[in-house]
Amino acid sequence: MENSQGYNILTVGVGGQGVIFSCKLLAAAALEDGGNQVRTAETHGMAQRGGTVIGYLRFGPKVSGPLIHKADVMLSFELSEALRSIKYADSHTSLFVSTDVIIPPSVYTYKIPYPEQEKTLKYLNKVTKNVHLINAREMAVKAGNSKTLNVILIGAMFGAGKLPIKEESLKNAIIKFVPAKAKEVNDVAFKMGYEIGQKIKEEFYE
Amino acid sequence: MNKPDYAEDTPGKEVILMGNEAIARGILEGGVIVGAAYPGTPSSEIIETLVKIQKFHPHLILELSINEKVAFEVSYGGAISDLRSVAIMKHVGLNVASDAFMTACYSGTRGGFVVISADDPNCYSSQNEQDNRYFGPHALVPVIEPSSPNEAKEMMKGAFELSEKHNSIILYRTTTRLNHGRGNVTLGDIKTSGRPASYERNPNKWVCVPSNSRVMRIELLARLEKFSEESNTYPFTSIKLSEEKVDGKKLGFISAGVPYSHLVDALNHFNIIDKVSILKIGMVYPPPTKLITQLLEHCDEILIVEELEPFIENLVKQIAFDAKIQKPVHGKDTFPIPGEFPVGLYLEKVAQFAGIDYKTEELPESDIALPPRLPLLCPGCSHRSTYWALKKVEQKLKIKTFKSGDIGCYTLGVYKPLQSMDAQICMGSSIGVGNALAKFQTEKEPVVAIIGDSTFFHSGVPGLINAVYNQNDLLVIIMDNRSTSMTGMQPNPGTGVKITGEPGNRIILEDLVKGCGVLEENIWIEDANDTPKMLEKLEEAILARGNGVRVFISRHVCSLLEIGQWKRQGKKTPVVKVDPDKCVGCMTCIRQFGCPAFVEIEGEPEQDGRKRKKSSIDPDVCRGCGVCVIGVCPYGAIYFEGE
Ligand SMILES: Cc1ncc(C[n+]2csc(CCOP(=O)(O)OP(=O)(O)O)c2C)c(N)n1
Repeated sequence: MENSQGYNILTVGVGGQGVIFSCKLLAAAALEDGGNQVRTAETHGMAQRGGTVIGYLRFGPKVSGPLIHKADVMLSFELSEALRSIKYADSHTSLFVSTDVIIPPSVYTYKIPYPEQEKTLKYLNKVTKNVHLINAREMAVKAGNSKTLNVILIGAMFGAGKLPIKEESLKNAIIKFVPAKAKEVNDVAFKMGYEIGQKIKEEFYE
Repeated sequence: MNKPDYAEDTPGKEVILMGNEAIARGILEGGVIVGAAYPGTPSSEIIETLVKIQKFHPHLILELSINEKVAFEVSYGGAISDLRSVAIMKHVGLNVASDAFMTACYSGTRGGFVVISADDPNCYSSQNEQDNRYFGPHALVPVIEPSSPNEAKEMMKGAFELSEKHNSIILYRTTTRLNHGRGNVTLGDIKTSGRPASYERNPNKWVCVPSNSRVMRIELLARLEKFSEESNTYPFTSIKLSEEKVDGKKLGFISAGVPYSHLVDALNHFNIIDKVSILKIGMVYPPPTKLITQLLEHCDEILIVEELEPFIENLVKQIAFDAKIQKPVHGKDTFPIPGEFPVGLYLEKVAQFAGIDYKTEELPESDIALPPRLPLLCPGCSHRSTYWALKKVEQKLKIKTFKSGDIGCYTLGVYKPLQSMDAQICMGSSIGVGNALAKFQTEKEPVVAIIGDSTFFHSGVPGLINAVYNQNDLLVIIMDNRSTSMTGMQPNPGTGVKITGEPGNRIILEDLVKGCGVLEENIWIEDANDTPKMLEKLEEAILARGNGVRVFISRHVCSLLEIGQWKRQGKKTPVVKVDPDKCVGCMTCIRQFGCPAFVEIEGEPEQDGRKRKKSSIDPDVCRGCGVCVIGVCPYGAIYFEGE
């Protein structure tokens, strides 16, 4: 967070996946952490109907505008969406990519095939060495609810040391945002994500 | 309900709010009593937030009006009754309200009166990209524009005093990234009381007849003159002059709104923010002439950073001309007119202007094509059912209707695979334009106007009356999904529920249609999801060409609302499946019907050992509406489980 651009997190995915929810939650955590100017820009309205959804989050002492040039971290809730938003990444970006695939109907109507996972990964790896593929949906189901996919990804980012926010601030934000009855599942999900993150940290960031 | 941050009475507390929430909070802190809106992205959450605030602060009088003109007039009515009032709309909404707006500014106001116009650079959710700052010089009212959520709140709060000081309407302009972006906001004091409502009987001021308007126009220009002076000391306008040189020149920047916030980031990025002069404008019209002159005199070269039209740029050039200052002033020779500026563009252009070597890392080349993710009609959407039935009738009658479309979720029918819209410009235009189109229709190309329920109430009614009156032989399909869905499922007169959730009076659509003069025998009302009935009746309606104006109400509640209704009623979602033995892989369900619940899968090996592509239904996406069960699959392969 040394530079004036603050810390930049891009959350991307498809309408209904909880992309904006995650952006909001992380924004609350960044405020709670203290000393931060926090800005977001979010997709609302018509594009949400089955379209690509992007949440831009920036925080730091001097942050001013809501949009991101190059993200420190990109959380992609869906495989092909990581590619669609790749212009926000460079060699310094850490990509946490869920293996989730949501086929857009345009695959049939416009006859453009959904990109193969292998090809996608190969390209992402050309952009940055820090590509972390996560079976987030599978893990979320294991945690007890597929909707915890976002908490898994957040946990992984935090576990990998790629979220410069105090654990307490993050936990408080999660408590504030997830419904009380879902607290336990989310705790489990966060832990699972965190553990994966720790492994990523050992392998990539130490 | 927990008290949301924006409704809290905890002055000094720092919270994160979305721009639209911050604006609503500013309205609360500004002591507003009357708020009226018509929904439209990116403005819709302002009235929705006010409704949530009202639960804790019941002094607010809120309504969702029938259209923006009425919303404006409702607020204006509050304002001339001496109550602080606000009218809320998206940019194109101001076009609808402009007849009232352009003359109301002559009379001015008593209670503070602010009109919010939410512009949408890049047309994220809009039919055009118009720049409503121009309404300032057009209506001769001040235009203010915030650059961050906190400023949005503060500026809104202050706008009512400003309005009262000169009895003028204030236009408050935002852009999408402000409305739909969050930021730190420090809560202030809530103001719940003001002067009581009262009427002022002064026809010279409040009745815009020519003899009065001529006088008031002079007063209006005098008011603008005062704002012109005060623009220089407006609290959200600031100038910072630097004596330093960058690249051998004293550089100056002028900006406002969201672009200003990104300009600051770019200047920080290159570490030159203290070495350049910056004029940040909060009141973009009338412009701060003295400060602009000061900057022009001080700097060697100036860059104006603004999205959309060269609004500030042209004003600055005018000022420079009058002050006989000849210096290079850049704006739209550097930044584009259309679209939203990405951050990279700010960096590139600022670097270029400041003579800084700057290159952003280039992405490796990619040969991967990505299938687009266009916005779609939802699974279970009744608009799809109506379009489907219309298609089937066309096929049967060997005709092709010319579809005069309108604005709402059903506009998404323009995309593949339905491709069911031939013309569309603005709300209500389906019927208006259809009036003329119908004059030229033929048996093979009959004309159909397609309009949603909220849009019909908004501006479809005059077009319908026109068609009846002028005997334009038009078929109108009202897609009545009992909701204003595209902008977030707000209620409308047809639902009989008010935006506050309280019951209102329901307008019966078919009675209204009858009242417009459409004959009883020319009105059909069908359940959009009952395909067999739809096919029969739609055919009837199309073939009744020559019988005068016909209205076909295709009714079925919005799928997103129906899910909720089913849940509350404890109704189980029916399970719909594709029988792989009957499916031949023709993909009619995917390539023609286009419900997003259908996916292509590889079938089991068949007798010849080959695997064939089959259709299947994703149970996570399927809504269980069952429209596809009848009349979609030519092989009858789709069925309700358990039937
Ligand atoms: C003048 C104007 N005001 C508001 C909007 C925003 N807007 C787009 S569609 C729509 C309403 C759609 O409601 P309806 O006609 O009932 O169709 P639905 O989306 O429910 O299918 C609105 C308000 C607009 N485009 N133009």
